[in-house]
Amino acid sequence: MTSLQDMQRMVHDAVFETGPDGPALAAISEHIEPSDGFTAAEHLLIYRRAILGTLVRALGAIHPVCKRLVGEEFFDAMGRVYARQTPSESPDLGDYGENFGDFIAGFEPAAELIYLADVARLEWLWHRAFHAPDEDSIDVAALGAVAEADMGNIVFKLPISANLLVSDYPVHRIWQVNQDDWTGDQAVNLDEGRVRLIVWRRGHEMHIDELDAVAWSLLSRINAGQTLGEIGTAEGLDNLDEILPHCVQNGWIAGFALQA
Amino acid sequence: MTRFTDKPITGAGIGLRSRHYQEILDTKPSIPWFEVLSENYFGVGGLPIYHLERVRELYPVTLHGVGMSLGSADPLNFDYLARLKKLAEQIEPTYISDHLAWISIDGRHVHDLLPLPYTEETLAHFADCVLQVQDFLGCRLLIENPSSYMGYKEVDMTEWEFIAELVKRADCDLLFDVNNVYVSGQNHGFDPYEYLHSLPEGRVREIHLAGYEEQNNYLFDTHGYRVHPPVWELYRETIKHLGPVPTLIEWDNDIPEFEVLVDEANKAQKVMSDREAAA
Repeated sequence: MTSLQDMQRMVHDAVFETGPDGPALAAISEHIEPSDGFTAAEHLLIYRRAILGTLVRALGAIHPVCKRLVGEEFFDAMGRVYARQTPSESPDLGDYGENFGDFIAGFEPAAELIYLADVARLEWLWHRAFHAPDEDSIDVAALGAVAEADMGNIVFKLPISANLLVSDYPVHRIWQVNQDDWTGDQAVNLDEGRVRLIVWRRGHEMHIDELDAVAWSLLSRINAGQTLGEIGTAEGLDNLDEILPHCVQNGWIAGFALQA
Repeated sequence: MTRFTDKPITGAGIGLRSRHYQEILDTKPSIPWFEVLSENYFGVGGLPIYHLERVRELYPVTLHGVGMSLGSADPLNFDYLARLKKLAEQIEPTYISDHLAWISIDGRHVHDLLPLPYTEETLAHFADCVLQVQDFLGCRLLIENPSSYMGYKEVDMTEWEFIAELVKRADCDLLFDVNNVYVSGQNHGFDPYEYLHSLPEGRVREIHLAGYEEQNNYLFDTHGYRVHPPVWELYRETIKHLGPVPTLIEWDNDIPEFEVLVDEANKAQKVMSDREAAA
Protein backbone atom coordinates (compact mmCIF):
# COMPACT_ATOMS: atom_id res chain seq x y z
CA MET A 1 0.00 0.00 0.00
CA THR A 2 1.23 3.49 -0.85
CA SER A 3 2.44 5.37 2.21
CA LEU A 4 0.62 8.50 3.36
CA GLN A 5 3.71 10.57 2.61
CA ASP A 6 4.09 9.26 -0.94
CA MET A 7 0.40 9.80 -1.60
CA GLN A 8 0.58 13.40 -0.38
CA ARG A 9 3.69 14.11 -2.46
CA MET A 10 1.96 12.76 -5.54
CA VAL A 11 -1.12 14.92 -4.93
CA HIS A 12 1.04 17.98 -4.36
CA ASP A 13 3.10 17.45 -7.52
CA ALA A 14 -0.02 16.98 -9.62
CA VAL A 15 -1.60 20.15 -8.20
CA PHE A 16 1.38 22.29 -9.21
CA GLU A 17 1.99 20.63 -12.56
CA THR A 18 0.86 22.51 -15.69
CA GLY A 19 -1.47 21.03 -18.29
CA PRO A 20 -3.89 18.08 -18.40
CA ASP A 21 -1.49 15.28 -19.39
CA GLY A 22 1.65 15.57 -17.28
CA PRO A 23 3.37 12.63 -15.54
CA ALA A 24 2.43 13.73 -11.99
CA LEU A 25 -1.27 13.83 -12.81
CA ALA A 26 -1.00 10.41 -14.46
CA ALA A 27 0.78 9.00 -11.40
CA ILE A 28 -1.77 10.15 -8.80
CA SER A 29 -4.67 9.18 -11.05
CA GLU A 30 -3.76 5.54 -10.44
CA HIS A 31 -4.69 6.06 -6.80
CA ILE A 32 -7.87 8.09 -7.10
CA GLU A 33 -11.31 6.55 -7.38
CA PRO A 34 -13.13 7.66 -10.54
CA SER A 35 -16.84 8.40 -10.15
CA ASP A 36 -19.95 8.48 -12.35
CA GLY A 37 -19.28 12.00 -13.58
CA PHE A 38 -15.49 12.22 -13.42
CA THR A 39 -12.28 10.43 -14.24
CA ALA A 40 -9.65 10.16 -11.51
CA ALA A 41 -7.65 13.00 -13.08
CA GLU A 42 -10.72 15.25 -13.18
CA HIS A 43 -11.18 14.80 -9.44
CA LEU A 44 -7.60 15.97 -8.85
CA LEU A 45 -8.07 18.90 -11.24
CA ILE A 46 -10.89 20.22 -9.03
CA TYR A 47 -8.23 20.66 -6.32
CA ARG A 48 -5.72 22.17 -8.73
CA ARG A 49 -8.22 24.87 -9.69
CA ALA A 50 -9.26 25.48 -6.08
CA ILE A 51 -5.71 25.70 -4.72
CA LEU A 52 -4.37 27.99 -7.45
CA GLY A 53 -7.54 30.05 -7.03
CA THR A 54 -6.90 30.40 -3.29
CA LEU A 55 -3.28 31.49 -3.79
CA VAL A 56 -4.18 33.96 -6.55
CA ARG A 57 -7.01 35.42 -4.45
CA ALA A 58 -4.55 35.90 -1.59
CA LEU A 59 -2.17 37.77 -3.90
CA GLY A 60 -5.05 39.90 -5.14
CA ALA A 61 -6.15 40.75 -1.60
CA ILE A 62 -2.64 41.96 -0.72
CA HIS A 63 -2.05 43.71 -4.07
CA PRO A 64 -5.36 45.41 -4.98
CA VAL A 65 -3.67 48.32 -6.79
CA CYS A 66 -1.62 46.01 -9.02
CA LYS A 67 -4.80 44.12 -9.80
CA ARG A 68 -6.58 47.32 -10.70
CA LEU A 69 -3.69 48.49 -12.89
CA VAL A 70 -3.52 45.34 -15.02
CA GLY A 71 -7.12 44.16 -14.78
CA GLU A 72 -8.46 41.01 -13.17
CA GLU A 73 -7.81 38.65 -16.06
CA PHE A 74 -4.16 39.62 -16.51
CA PHE A 75 -3.57 39.65 -12.75
CA ASP A 76 -5.05 36.19 -12.29
CA ALA A 77 -2.96 34.75 -15.14
CA MET A 78 0.19 36.38 -13.74
CA GLY A 79 -0.71 35.17 -10.25
CA ARG A 80 -1.11 31.59 -11.47
CA VAL A 81 2.37 31.64 -13.01
CA TYR A 82 3.76 32.95 -9.72
CA ALA A 83 1.78 30.45 -7.63
CA ARG A 84 3.00 27.49 -9.71
CA GLN A 85 6.63 28.38 -9.16
CA THR A 86 6.39 29.73 -5.61
CA PRO A 87 5.47 27.30 -2.84
CA SER A 88 3.83 28.76 0.26
CA GLU A 89 6.10 27.99 3.17
CA SER A 90 3.85 29.19 6.00
CA PRO A 91 0.52 27.89 7.27
CA ASP A 92 -0.56 31.55 7.41
CA LEU A 93 -1.76 32.66 3.98
CA GLY A 94 -0.94 36.24 5.02
CA ASP A 95 2.74 35.31 4.65
CA TYR A 96 2.29 34.47 0.96
CA GLY A 97 3.62 36.79 -1.75
CA GLU A 98 6.77 38.28 -0.25
CA ASN A 99 8.72 38.26 -3.50
CA PHE A 100 5.79 38.91 -5.85
CA GLY A 101 7.35 42.29 -6.74
CA ASP A 102 10.64 40.62 -7.74
CA PHE A 103 8.69 38.11 -9.78
CA ILE A 104 6.80 40.87 -11.61
CA ALA A 105 10.09 42.64 -12.39
CA GLY A 106 11.09 39.56 -14.41
CA PHE A 107 7.63 38.77 -15.82
CA GLU A 108 7.96 39.48 -19.53
CA PRO A 109 4.26 40.10 -20.36
CA ALA A 110 4.21 42.93 -17.77
CA ALA A 111 7.51 44.50 -18.92
CA GLU A 112 5.78 47.56 -20.39
CA LEU A 113 4.42 48.49 -16.98
CA ILE A 114 7.85 49.47 -15.69
CA TYR A 115 6.49 50.67 -12.33
CA LEU A 116 4.34 47.60 -11.57
CA ALA A 117 7.00 45.67 -9.62
CA ASP A 118 7.56 48.63 -7.28
CA VAL A 119 3.82 49.07 -6.77
CA ALA A 120 3.68 45.40 -5.73
CA ARG A 121 6.62 45.94 -3.34
CA LEU A 122 4.84 48.95 -1.83
CA GLU A 123 1.62 46.98 -1.35
CA TRP A 124 3.52 44.13 0.29
CA LEU A 125 5.17 46.51 2.77
CA TRP A 126 1.77 48.09 3.48
CA HIS A 127 0.37 44.62 4.20
CA ARG A 128 3.24 43.75 6.54
CA ALA A 129 2.97 47.05 8.39
CA PHE A 130 -0.77 46.57 8.81
CA HIS A 131 -0.20 43.25 10.60
CA ALA A 132 2.99 44.22 12.48
CA PRO A 133 3.18 44.13 16.27
CA ASP A 134 2.10 47.24 18.18
CA GLU A 135 4.77 49.31 19.92
CA ASP A 136 5.22 52.49 21.96
CA SER A 137 6.87 55.56 20.50
CA ILE A 138 10.41 56.56 21.44
CA ASP A 139 11.14 57.50 25.06
CA VAL A 140 12.27 61.08 24.48
CA ALA A 141 13.10 61.68 28.17
CA ALA A 142 15.42 58.66 28.27
CA LEU A 143 17.06 59.86 25.06
CA GLY A 144 17.60 63.28 26.60
CA ALA A 145 19.22 61.66 29.63
CA VAL A 146 21.96 59.89 27.65
CA ALA A 147 25.35 61.17 28.85
CA GLU A 148 27.36 63.29 26.39
CA ALA A 149 30.14 60.68 26.34
CA ASP A 150 27.71 57.90 25.33
CA MET A 151 26.02 59.79 22.48
CA GLY A 152 28.23 58.24 19.81
CA ASN A 153 27.15 54.76 20.92
CA ILE A 154 23.44 55.34 20.40
CA VAL A 155 21.86 52.88 17.96
CA PHE A 156 18.46 54.13 16.85
CA LYS A 157 15.64 51.84 15.70
CA LEU A 158 12.98 52.32 13.07
CA PRO A 159 9.43 51.30 14.02
CA ILE A 160 8.98 47.50 13.98
CA SER A 161 6.35 47.99 11.29
CA ALA A 162 8.60 50.18 9.10
CA ASN A 163 10.27 49.39 5.80
CA LEU A 164 12.07 51.70 3.38
CA LEU A 165 11.39 51.62 -0.33
CA VAL A 166 13.03 53.54 -3.13
CA SER A 167 11.59 53.63 -6.63
CA ASP A 168 12.45 55.40 -9.88
CA TYR A 169 8.71 55.88 -10.43
CA PRO A 170 6.07 57.81 -8.48
CA VAL A 171 4.62 54.65 -6.92
CA HIS A 172 3.21 56.51 -3.93
CA ARG A 173 1.17 58.72 -6.25
CA ILE A 174 0.10 55.68 -8.31
CA TRP A 175 -0.97 53.96 -5.10
CA GLN A 176 -2.94 57.01 -3.91
CA VAL A 177 -4.93 57.65 -7.07
CA ASN A 178 -5.90 53.97 -7.19
CA GLN A 179 -7.46 53.88 -3.74
CA ASP A 180 -11.25 53.37 -3.68
CA ASP A 181 -11.82 56.60 -1.78
CA TRP A 182 -9.57 58.78 -4.00
CA THR A 183 -11.59 61.61 -5.54
CA GLY A 184 -8.79 63.91 -6.80
CA ASP A 185 -6.92 64.18 -10.07
CA GLN A 186 -6.11 60.76 -11.58
CA ALA A 187 -3.13 61.97 -13.62
CA VAL A 188 0.30 60.57 -12.80
CA ASN A 189 3.49 61.90 -14.39
CA LEU A 190 5.89 58.97 -14.69
CA ASP A 191 8.82 61.40 -15.11
CA GLU A 192 8.42 62.89 -11.64
CA GLY A 193 11.64 61.21 -10.63
CA ARG A 194 12.76 58.97 -7.82
CA VAL A 195 10.68 58.58 -4.65
CA ARG A 196 11.98 57.45 -1.29
CA LEU A 197 9.34 56.06 1.05
CA ILE A 198 8.92 54.77 4.56
CA VAL A 199 5.90 52.48 5.00
CA TRP A 200 4.85 52.05 8.62
CA ARG A 201 2.07 52.14 11.18
CA ARG A 202 1.57 54.29 14.27
CA GLY A 203 -1.22 52.93 16.47
CA HIS A 204 -3.95 52.10 13.99
CA GLU A 205 -2.84 54.73 11.49
CA MET A 206 -1.12 53.50 8.34
CA HIS A 207 1.56 55.77 6.84
CA ILE A 208 3.32 55.95 3.52
CA ASP A 209 5.61 58.97 4.00
CA GLU A 210 7.87 60.48 1.35
CA LEU A 211 11.43 61.16 2.50
CA ASP A 212 13.93 63.67 1.17
CA ALA A 213 17.42 62.45 0.26
CA VAL A 214 18.91 63.41 3.63
CA ALA A 215 16.23 61.77 5.80
CA TRP A 216 16.45 58.73 3.54
CA SER A 217 20.21 58.55 4.04
CA LEU A 218 19.85 58.81 7.83
CA LEU A 219 17.06 56.22 8.11
CA SER A 220 18.88 53.82 5.77
CA ARG A 221 21.97 54.01 7.99
CA ILE A 222 19.86 53.45 11.10
CA ASN A 223 18.21 50.53 9.36
CA ALA A 224 21.67 49.09 8.65
CA GLY A 225 22.48 49.24 12.37
CA GLN A 226 25.00 52.11 12.33
CA THR A 227 25.72 53.97 15.57
CA LEU A 228 25.13 57.69 15.90
CA GLY A 229 28.93 58.10 15.96
CA GLU A 230 29.26 56.38 12.60
CA ILE A 231 26.33 58.29 11.13
CA GLY A 232 27.82 61.61 12.32
CA THR A 233 30.88 61.16 10.13
CA ALA A 234 28.88 60.15 7.04
CA GLU A 235 29.00 62.35 4.00
CA GLY A 236 25.95 64.56 3.41
CA LEU A 237 24.68 64.17 6.96
CA ASP A 238 26.40 67.22 8.47
CA ASN A 239 23.12 68.82 9.58
CA LEU A 240 22.14 65.96 11.92
CA ASP A 241 20.99 68.55 14.50
CA GLU A 242 18.07 69.33 12.25
CA ILE A 243 17.37 66.08 10.48
CA LEU A 244 17.44 63.80 13.54
CA PRO A 245 14.73 65.68 15.50
CA HIS A 246 12.72 65.93 12.27
CA CYS A 247 12.77 62.13 11.92
CA VAL A 248 11.95 61.57 15.61
CA GLN A 249 9.02 64.01 15.47
CA ASN A 250 7.58 62.24 12.43
CA GLY A 251 7.68 58.93 14.28
CA TRP A 252 10.19 57.36 11.86
CA ILE A 253 12.52 56.59 14.75
CA ALA A 254 10.79 54.51 17.40
CA GLY A 255 13.50 53.60 19.89
CA PHE A 256 17.18 53.41 20.70
CA ALA A 257 19.75 51.34 22.54
CA LEU A 258 23.31 51.99 23.66
CA GLN A 259 25.93 49.87 21.99
CA ALA A 260 28.20 48.39 24.64
CA MET B 1 -8.71 18.44 30.40
CA THR B 2 -8.89 22.17 30.93
CA ARG B 3 -10.42 24.70 28.62
CA PHE B 4 -9.41 28.30 28.10
CA THR B 5 -12.81 29.35 29.37
CA ASP B 6 -15.51 27.37 31.13
CA LYS B 7 -18.38 29.51 29.93
CA PRO B 8 -20.42 27.30 27.60
CA ILE B 9 -21.81 28.55 24.31
CA THR B 10 -25.38 27.89 23.19
CA GLY B 11 -27.54 28.74 20.21
CA ALA B 12 -26.69 30.00 16.75
CA GLY B 13 -23.45 31.95 16.35
CA ILE B 14 -21.92 33.74 13.39
CA GLY B 15 -18.48 33.69 11.79
CA LEU B 16 -16.80 37.04 12.53
CA ARG B 17 -15.57 38.78 9.36
CA SER B 18 -13.69 42.08 9.14
CA ARG B 19 -16.35 43.94 7.16
CA HIS B 20 -18.76 43.51 10.10
CA TYR B 21 -16.44 44.57 12.98
CA GLN B 22 -17.72 48.10 13.22
CA GLU B 23 -21.39 47.24 12.98
CA ILE B 24 -21.05 44.57 15.68
CA LEU B 25 -19.17 46.88 18.03
CA ASP B 26 -21.59 49.76 17.40
CA THR B 27 -24.89 47.88 17.60
CA LYS B 28 -23.96 44.98 19.92
CA PRO B 29 -26.42 42.56 18.25
CA SER B 30 -27.87 39.75 20.36
CA ILE B 31 -25.76 36.97 18.85
CA PRO B 32 -24.80 34.30 21.41
CA TRP B 33 -21.19 33.84 20.18
CA PHE B 34 -18.78 34.45 17.31
CA GLU B 35 -16.22 32.23 15.63
CA VAL B 36 -13.00 33.59 14.14
CA LEU B 37 -10.47 32.15 11.72
CA SER B 38 -7.41 31.75 13.92
CA GLU B 39 -4.78 32.49 11.28
CA ASN B 40 -6.30 35.90 10.56
CA TYR B 41 -5.12 37.03 14.01
CA PHE B 42 -1.57 35.69 13.91
CA GLY B 43 -0.31 39.19 13.09
CA VAL B 44 0.01 39.96 16.84
CA GLY B 45 -0.66 43.69 16.37
CA GLY B 46 -2.77 46.26 14.64
CA LEU B 47 -6.44 46.53 13.88
CA PRO B 48 -7.45 42.86 13.45
CA ILE B 49 -6.48 41.78 16.97
CA TYR B 50 -7.73 45.10 18.40
CA HIS B 51 -11.18 44.46 16.94
CA LEU B 52 -11.17 40.85 18.06
CA GLU B 53 -10.38 41.87 21.63
CA ARG B 54 -13.24 44.39 21.62
CA VAL B 55 -15.62 41.72 20.28
CA ARG B 56 -14.35 39.25 22.87
CA GLU B 57 -15.21 41.71 25.65
CA LEU B 58 -18.84 41.42 24.54
CA TYR B 59 -19.18 37.81 23.32
CA PRO B 60 -17.80 34.29 23.76
CA VAL B 61 -15.51 33.35 20.88
CA THR B 62 -14.42 30.05 19.31
CA LEU B 63 -11.18 29.67 17.32
CA HIS B 64 -11.39 27.82 14.02
CA GLY B 65 -8.28 27.10 11.96
CA VAL B 66 -7.18 25.54 8.70
CA GLY B 67 -3.44 25.53 9.37
CA MET B 68 -2.71 22.60 11.71
CA SER B 69 -2.42 20.18 8.80
CA LEU B 70 -3.04 17.35 11.26
CA GLY B 71 -3.15 14.73 8.53
CA SER B 72 0.12 15.71 6.88
CA ALA B 73 2.95 13.17 6.92
CA ASP B 74 5.18 16.12 7.93
CA PRO B 75 5.99 16.60 11.61
CA LEU B 76 3.61 18.98 13.42
CA ASN B 77 4.46 22.65 13.03
CA PHE B 78 5.11 23.84 16.60
CA ASP B 79 5.73 27.44 15.49
CA TYR B 80 2.18 27.49 14.23
CA LEU B 81 0.92 25.84 17.40
CA ALA B 82 2.80 28.34 19.58
CA ARG B 83 1.15 31.24 17.73
CA LEU B 84 -2.22 29.58 18.14
CA LYS B 85 -1.63 29.00 21.83
CA LYS B 86 -0.63 32.63 22.33
CA LEU B 87 -3.82 33.74 20.59
CA ALA B 88 -5.85 31.32 22.71
CA GLU B 89 -4.33 32.69 25.91
CA GLN B 90 -5.20 36.20 24.76
CA ILE B 91 -8.75 35.49 23.54
CA GLU B 92 -9.79 32.61 25.85
CA PRO B 93 -11.88 30.74 23.28
CA THR B 94 -14.57 28.26 24.23
CA TYR B 95 -13.29 25.79 21.64
CA ILE B 96 -10.39 25.37 19.22
CA SER B 97 -11.10 23.46 16.03
CA ASP B 98 -9.39 22.32 12.84
CA HIS B 99 -10.05 19.75 10.12
CA LEU B 100 -9.80 16.10 9.26
CA ALA B 101 -7.51 16.93 6.35
CA TRP B 102 -4.00 17.92 5.30
CA ILE B 103 -2.84 21.19 3.78
CA SER B 104 0.92 20.76 3.53
CA ILE B 105 3.63 18.30 2.60
CA ASP B 106 7.40 18.81 2.74
CA GLY B 107 6.73 22.23 4.28
CA ARG B 108 4.75 23.46 1.27
CA HIS B 109 1.24 24.71 2.02
CA VAL B 110 -1.69 24.62 -0.35
CA HIS B 111 -4.14 26.46 1.97
CA ASP B 112 -7.01 24.25 0.88
CA LEU B 113 -8.18 21.20 2.78
CA LEU B 114 -7.09 18.04 1.01
CA PRO B 115 -8.78 14.73 1.81
CA LEU B 116 -6.98 11.85 3.50
CA PRO B 117 -6.89 8.21 2.49
CA TYR B 118 -8.81 6.56 5.34
CA THR B 119 -6.35 3.81 6.14
CA GLU B 120 -5.03 2.28 9.36
CA GLU B 121 -1.74 4.14 8.78
CA THR B 122 -3.53 7.49 8.45
CA LEU B 123 -5.66 6.78 11.52
CA ALA B 124 -2.67 5.97 13.72
CA HIS B 125 -0.82 9.05 12.48
CA PHE B 126 -3.76 11.43 12.75
CA ALA B 127 -4.71 10.26 16.25
CA ASP B 128 -1.11 10.71 17.38
CA CYS B 129 -1.01 14.26 15.99
CA VAL B 130 -4.29 15.17 17.70
CA LEU B 131 -2.97 13.82 21.00
CA GLN B 132 0.23 15.86 20.65
CA VAL B 133 -1.66 19.05 19.84
CA GLN B 134 -4.11 18.56 22.70
CA ASP B 135 -1.20 18.00 25.04
CA PHE B 136 0.55 21.15 23.78
CA LEU B 137 -2.54 23.39 23.89
CA GLY B 138 -3.90 21.91 27.09
CA CYS B 139 -7.41 21.43 25.74
CA ARG B 140 -9.44 19.05 23.63
CA LEU B 141 -9.65 19.81 19.94
CA LEU B 142 -12.81 19.79 17.87
CA ILE B 143 -12.13 17.96 14.60
CA GLU B 144 -14.28 18.94 11.63
CA ASN B 145 -15.29 16.69 8.75
CA PRO B 146 -14.20 18.30 5.46
CA SER B 147 -16.06 18.55 2.19
CA SER B 148 -14.20 16.62 -0.48
CA TYR B 149 -14.06 16.19 -4.22
CA MET B 150 -11.94 13.10 -4.54
CA GLY B 151 -11.49 9.75 -2.83
CA TYR B 152 -8.63 7.28 -2.83
CA LYS B 153 -8.73 3.69 -4.07
CA GLU B 154 -6.65 2.28 -1.23
CA VAL B 155 -8.75 2.74 1.92
CA ASP B 156 -9.60 0.58 4.92
CA MET B 157 -12.74 2.35 6.12
CA THR B 158 -15.31 5.06 5.46
CA GLU B 159 -14.88 8.60 6.72
CA TRP B 160 -17.48 8.08 9.48
CA GLU B 161 -15.80 4.86 10.61
CA PHE B 162 -12.50 6.74 10.68
CA ILE B 163 -14.03 9.50 12.83
CA ALA B 164 -15.58 7.04 15.29
CA GLU B 165 -12.23 5.31 15.74
CA LEU B 166 -10.34 8.60 15.96
CA VAL B 167 -12.50 9.77 18.86
CA LYS B 168 -11.72 6.56 20.73
CA ARG B 169 -7.98 6.82 20.19
CA ALA B 170 -7.41 10.56 20.55
CA ASP B 171 -10.21 11.43 23.00
CA CYS B 172 -11.01 14.48 20.89
CA ASP B 173 -14.36 16.18 20.29
CA LEU B 174 -16.06 16.87 16.98
CA LEU B 175 -17.29 19.75 14.91
CA PHE B 176 -19.97 18.38 12.62
CA ASP B 177 -20.28 20.37 9.40
CA VAL B 178 -23.72 19.52 8.03
CA ASN B 179 -23.05 21.26 4.72
CA ASN B 180 -19.78 19.37 4.23
CA VAL B 181 -21.42 16.00 4.84
CA TYR B 182 -24.12 16.85 2.34
CA VAL B 183 -21.58 18.07 -0.25
CA SER B 184 -19.31 15.05 0.17
CA GLY B 185 -22.28 12.68 0.17
CA GLN B 186 -23.47 14.08 -3.15
CA ASN B 187 -19.95 14.05 -4.63
CA HIS B 188 -19.07 10.51 -3.49
CA GLY B 189 -22.51 8.92 -3.47
CA PHE B 190 -22.86 8.11 0.23
CA ASP B 191 -25.85 8.70 2.48
CA PRO B 192 -25.30 11.70 4.77
CA TYR B 193 -27.99 10.39 7.12
CA GLU B 194 -26.07 7.18 7.67
CA TYR B 195 -23.00 9.33 8.40
CA LEU B 196 -24.97 11.42 10.90
CA HIS B 197 -26.36 8.43 12.73
CA SER B 198 -22.94 6.82 13.13
CA LEU B 199 -21.36 9.84 14.88
CA PRO B 200 -20.00 8.89 18.30
CA GLU B 201 -22.35 9.86 21.09
CA GLY B 202 -21.74 12.99 23.14
CA ARG B 203 -18.77 14.21 21.11
CA VAL B 204 -20.23 16.81 18.74
CA ARG B 205 -19.71 20.18 20.48
CA GLU B 206 -20.39 22.42 17.53
CA ILE B 207 -22.13 22.38 14.15
CA HIS B 208 -21.32 24.36 10.98
CA LEU B 209 -23.77 25.49 8.33
CA ALA B 210 -22.85 27.19 5.05
CA GLY B 211 -23.91 27.46 1.42
CA TYR B 212 -22.34 25.35 -1.31
CA GLU B 213 -22.18 26.11 -5.02
CA GLU B 214 -23.37 23.84 -7.82
CA GLN B 215 -20.60 23.30 -10.36
CA ASN B 216 -20.73 21.07 -13.44
CA ASN B 217 -21.82 17.75 -11.96
CA TYR B 218 -20.56 18.31 -8.41
CA LEU B 219 -21.10 20.48 -5.36
CA PHE B 220 -18.35 22.87 -4.28
CA ASP B 221 -18.11 24.20 -0.74
CA THR B 222 -17.66 27.93 -1.38
CA HIS B 223 -19.21 29.35 1.82
CA GLY B 224 -20.64 32.04 -0.43
CA TYR B 225 -24.40 31.43 -0.26
CA ARG B 226 -27.33 30.98 2.07
CA VAL B 227 -27.74 27.46 3.43
CA HIS B 228 -29.52 25.32 0.82
CA PRO B 229 -32.84 23.53 1.53
CA PRO B 230 -31.48 19.93 1.57
CA VAL B 231 -28.84 21.04 4.09
CA TRP B 232 -31.54 22.58 6.32
CA GLU B 233 -33.39 19.27 6.12
CA LEU B 234 -30.28 17.36 7.17
CA TYR B 235 -29.68 19.96 9.90
CA ARG B 236 -33.20 19.42 11.34
CA GLU B 237 -32.47 15.70 11.53
CA THR B 238 -29.06 16.47 13.08
CA ILE B 239 -30.60 18.57 15.86
CA LYS B 240 -33.30 15.96 16.40
CA HIS B 241 -30.60 13.33 16.76
CA LEU B 242 -27.88 15.24 18.66
CA GLY B 243 -29.90 17.86 20.53
CA PRO B 244 -29.42 21.65 20.29
CA VAL B 245 -25.67 21.67 19.64
CA PRO B 246 -24.29 25.24 19.20
CA THR B 247 -24.44 26.02 15.48
CA LEU B 248 -22.40 28.44 13.40
CA ILE B 249 -23.30 30.24 10.18
CA GLU B 250 -20.14 30.41 8.03
CA TRP B 251 -19.72 32.78 5.09
CA ASP B 252 -16.31 33.41 3.49
CA ASN B 253 -16.84 34.53 -0.10
CA ASP B 254 -18.96 37.46 -1.32
CA ILE B 255 -19.67 38.25 2.32
CA PRO B 256 -23.12 39.87 2.55
CA GLU B 257 -24.60 42.46 4.90
CA PHE B 258 -24.54 41.40 8.53
CA GLU B 259 -28.35 41.12 8.62
CA VAL B 260 -28.26 38.27 6.08
CA LEU B 261 -26.07 36.28 8.48
CA VAL B 262 -28.39 37.15 11.37
CA ASP B 263 -31.32 35.91 9.29
CA GLU B 264 -29.59 32.57 8.68
CA ALA B 265 -28.64 32.30 12.35
CA ASN B 266 -32.28 32.94 13.32
CA LYS B 267 -33.37 30.05 11.10
CA ALA B 268 -30.89 27.73 12.84
CA GLN B 269 -32.02 29.04 16.21
CA LYS B 270 -35.62 28.26 15.33
CA VAL B 271 -34.73 24.66 14.45
CA MET B 272 -33.08 24.30 17.86
CA SER B 273 -35.97 25.99 19.69
CA ASP B 274 -38.58 23.83 17.92
CA ARG B 275 -36.65 20.75 18.94
CA GLU B 276 -36.51 21.95 22.56
CA ALA B 277 -40.26 22.63 22.54
CA ALA B 278 -40.97 19.17 21.13
CA ALA B 279 -38.70 17.42 23.61
